[in-house]
Amino acid sequence: MALLEVEDLRVAFGASTAVDGVSFSVDEGKVVGLVGESGCGKSVTSLAIMGLLPKGRGRRTREPVQAAAAEPVDSGLKVAASAPQAVAASGGRGRRGGADVQGRAAFDGTDLLSLSPAAMRRRRGKDLAMVFQDPLSSLNPVVPIGRQITEVLERHRGLKGDKASKEAASLLDRVGIPDPLRRLKEYPHQLSGGMRQRVLIAIAVACAPRLLIADEPTTALDVTIQAQILELLKDLVETEGTALLMITHDLGVVAGICDEVNVLYSGRVVESAPVRELFRKPTHPYTVGLLGSIPRLDLPIHEPLTPIRGSIADVIRWRDGCAFAPRCDKVAAPCVDGEPALVGAVHAHRCVMAEEVA
Amino acid sequence: MTIAKIEKLDRLVEATASARDARTGSLWRQSIRRMRRSPMAITGAVIVGLFVVVAVVGPWVAPYDPTAQTWGREVFLNQNIFPGPRAENWFGLDHLGRDMFSRMIVGARQTLLVGVVATFIGFIAGAFIGGVAAAAGTFGGRWGERCEAVIMRAVDVALAIPMLLLALSVAALLGPSLRTVMIAVGVAQIPIFARLLRGSMLAQAHSDYVLAAIAIGVPKGRIVVSHILPNSLGPVIVQATLVLATAIIEAAALSYLGLGNPDPGSPEWGTMLADAQRFLSGAPQLAIYPAVGIIVTALGFTLLGEAMRESLDPRLRRQE
Amino acid sequence: MSPEQTEPHVPAQRTEEPDLSGAATTPAASPLLEVEDLKVHFPIRRGIVVERTVGHVQAVDGVGLSIDAGGTYGLVGESGCGKTTFGRAVLRLEEPTAGRVRLGGDEVTALKGERLRRFRSKMQMVFQDPLGSLNPRHNVDMLLSEPLKVHGVGSKAERRKLAVETLDAVGLPKSVLERFPHEFSGGQRQRLGIARALMLRPDLIVCDEPVSALDVSIQAQVMNLLDELQDEFGLTYLVIAHDLAVVRHLSDRVGVMYLGKLVEEADSETIYENPRHPYTKALLSAVPQPDPEVEATRERIILKGDLPSPANPPSGCRFRTRCPWAEDICAEVEPEWREAASGHKVACHFDL
Repeated sequence: MALLEVEDLRVAFGASTAVDGVSFSVDEGKVVGLVGESGCGKSVTSLAIMGLLPKGRGRRTREPVQAAAAEPVDSGLKVAASAPQAVAASGGRGRRGGADVQGRAAFDGTDLLSLSPAAMRRRRGKDLAMVFQDPLSSLNPVVPIGRQITEVLERHRGLKGDKASKEAASLLDRVGIPDPLRRLKEYPHQLSGGMRQRVLIAIAVACAPRLLIADEPTTALDVTIQAQILELLKDLVETEGTALLMITHDLGVVAGICDEVNVLYSGRVVESAPVRELFRKPTHPYTVGLLGSIPRLDLPIHEPLTPIRGSIADVIRWRDGCAFAPRCDKVAAPCVDGEPALVGAVHAHRCVMAEEVA
Repeated sequence: MTIAKIEKLDRLVEATASARDARTGSLWRQSIRRMRRSPMAITGAVIVGLFVVVAVVGPWVAPYDPTAQTWGREVFLNQNIFPGPRAENWFGLDHLGRDMFSRMIVGARQTLLVGVVATFIGFIAGAFIGGVAAAAGTFGGRWGERCEAVIMRAVDVALAIPMLLLALSVAALLGPSLRTVMIAVGVAQIPIFARLLRGSMLAQAHSDYVLAAIAIGVPKGRIVVSHILPNSLGPVIVQATLVLATAIIEAAALSYLGLGNPDPGSPEWGTMLADAQRFLSGAPQLAIYPAVGIIVTALGFTLLGEAMRESLDPRLRRQE
Repeated sequence: MSPEQTEPHVPAQRTEEPDLSGAATTPAASPLLEVEDLKVHFPIRRGIVVERTVGHVQAVDGVGLSIDAGGTYGLVGESGCGKTTFGRAVLRLEEPTAGRVRLGGDEVTALKGERLRRFRSKMQMVFQDPLGSLNPRHNVDMLLSEPLKVHGVGSKAERRKLAVETLDAVGLPKSVLERFPHEFSGGQRQRLGIARALMLRPDLIVCDEPVSALDVSIQAQVMNLLDELQDEFGLTYLVIAHDLAVVRHLSDRVGVMYLGKLVEEADSETIYENPRHPYTKALLSAVPQPDPEVEATRERIILKGDLPSPANPPSGCRFRTRCPWAEDICAEVEPEWREAASGHKVACHFDL
């Protein structure tokens, strides 16, 4: 059985649907990617699993907004979510109204979505942990990083005083921060972006969680630093057997680190496959389009790119047809004939024209 | 066949796109649309609207002459026990036997006038000072920076003086009159507006679109007037609404202290409050009417201002 | 040493610098843009009452390059390397501390006041943040006609006609003229930003991270558009980006910047196939490729540590603190900016 099994996850903010029935699973020691562009629901998915979305069933609703137009929803959330403590602490921070979360996210057999906030708090940090995109706003600016690490150690592992400090230092060493004893006394602003992300990872792995969720962990970093962080994450998965759920928009990162990939579009998985399979034989036109949009260093120079036309605002509702249809070059009559299903087992896709396209 | 289906696709796209029309129109129009949905804005607008209507039509709808001591004899005979609300005088009588209801209605105009004129003085002078300082600091080079520093230090000094003290000094210089109250309250608001606009403009001056305007070759003056200023006004306008509330209270305070309009012919809420002070133990209603009037009006403007602040806030704007 | 370097407006401390003028690389074609030894130093000020300068951030410290008319030069580097400051200094949006910039024979660095303002019609910029660089209270019509208005071009009707033409060139319909920036998607906004830069039909456009704020599928649209417009309007580009693949795709010539200096420059094909500077090698090896087979076999050079402070750069070679091949000489002697092969310049003591 998989460590994390997400089934038919749905998240709505008022009348706007951000995640529209997403299912996937993560095995121990595996890296699973959730890939997509802004507004596809990948971040909301991860926040829902972590129980970090402001709960607000029955709150006042805002005017209806379509799923893909939820780009602002996504970015707005990122702002709120970048400080994990703050989000966790506030039931309904901001005036967005809460999120209506449905479906199942079974972690080792327990449905995380049905846990009480207190029970979820106990698990968070210990069984499952999260690393955010913006390391600066995820750290408390007025508390030395050492204190921020030992706090977690105290709460979840009962370590105190010297023992906790020693453990904190060894964690910093583990994530490749030189001179960890000195660093413990420093404040987040004294560290570089890469260092901060390492500290966040150190905090996340402090209790040896079985599942680590990384939401665009390298997007804010330079390529050379990104390479360092990716190496570190890979190493964690290999040596500790941690399961990693990697949320990213970068197919290069996916190719480098993931074992399985789920491509999201407008709140649904449109293609899901083992990584080599996906890149060797991308099936959904959206995946194909994404791959065609990326300039590559290993291809002949000035090879023309084949972009996807339109923008994520050109979208239709999934129940009317394929949400990607308005931007798809292969669009045909069956594409707007009701909900397309996810077909296939190992390599699944949500395209009714797949046979014809191939 | 296929073509018909593609038409269906276009329809579906349009259907989903029209659900998002909330993002269309200029920013001002968007703000107004957001305000229309805010209960705070509606409450504030209703109060303020009512107040303004009363202030405008007051003298014509007042049942009695607010200055005529119609029931003076009755009050005198009762040995200063003023009749409370009754059929012909809804709010009762004051110490000179004048109809309180009429006085409240007619007094609204003076109160509004004081608030608006004082805020206007503070807004215009403050925005001018702040605007000049910001423009000089941004585009005036070394000299401009120095000018800005001098202006802003002066503003800081003015800010350090308690507002009431400043207003009192102005009032003492000009002698008690309605004009004095307006000028005094207005002058006291100048530094607030100056600081606010300058801060707001400096933030805009470092934005990318200002850099883009420089890159295009837009002359400096035009950048200030057509790019920086319009984008900086939001918080200042909000402040003006909030200041209106403070100005009404301040004006009332100055009138209460005896610096307001000495002319008994034109009632004003602050002066009424001051007059009521003498009879507070025997006839508290005389103080309660103008006090409630001032509080509710100030609340109305504050609600409106807060709602405007929210609807203009760029952080909220992006999420919509 | 080229004779220009002894001109009076250049400070004396420069004489020890190696020859950084890029003019010699392409003697045949005439370069449109020539930048010589450009420096931008920002003073670090301390003190509340009396400000004093306690040091300088050497954001750009002697960068020279030239771009042929109709060519594209890609400037790559990580955040903090000074590439954005360089781009802005070329356009005189940032005051250069030293050095000179020539555009089509005119000396940009010598222009002042109204002459500089007028000259700006020849050089334009495309910004990273498409929303932030558009005035939120101006509609598209105002946005596009403003450049013409301030340079006194055409009547109102002519300006509108030109705006419609330019919109068409960037792939937007005429109907958007009355709309406001926030009503567009990210990609459309960037098209607007490009349209505005095109309105004056400039010779040079500096594109500062033109696609990094956009979604992947939109990035390709904008890159293709930049390509098309270059042919259509005969543009010369200076593309500044952190993404090597983007720069490679757009540019003919690529320069790699590290901590305020160029470390390598070559034709884009050469620099990716045969990088000579350790930093370039590391950068190239760090870019993840969208191909698991390539990723599995790729050898990475993982650089240690972070970028040193540009206020206090390392002695000798600035990259030595992170360089896997650094030796003693690297700390003592600053490597010369030399031509390692024809048209391939590098600032490294070794031939790696």
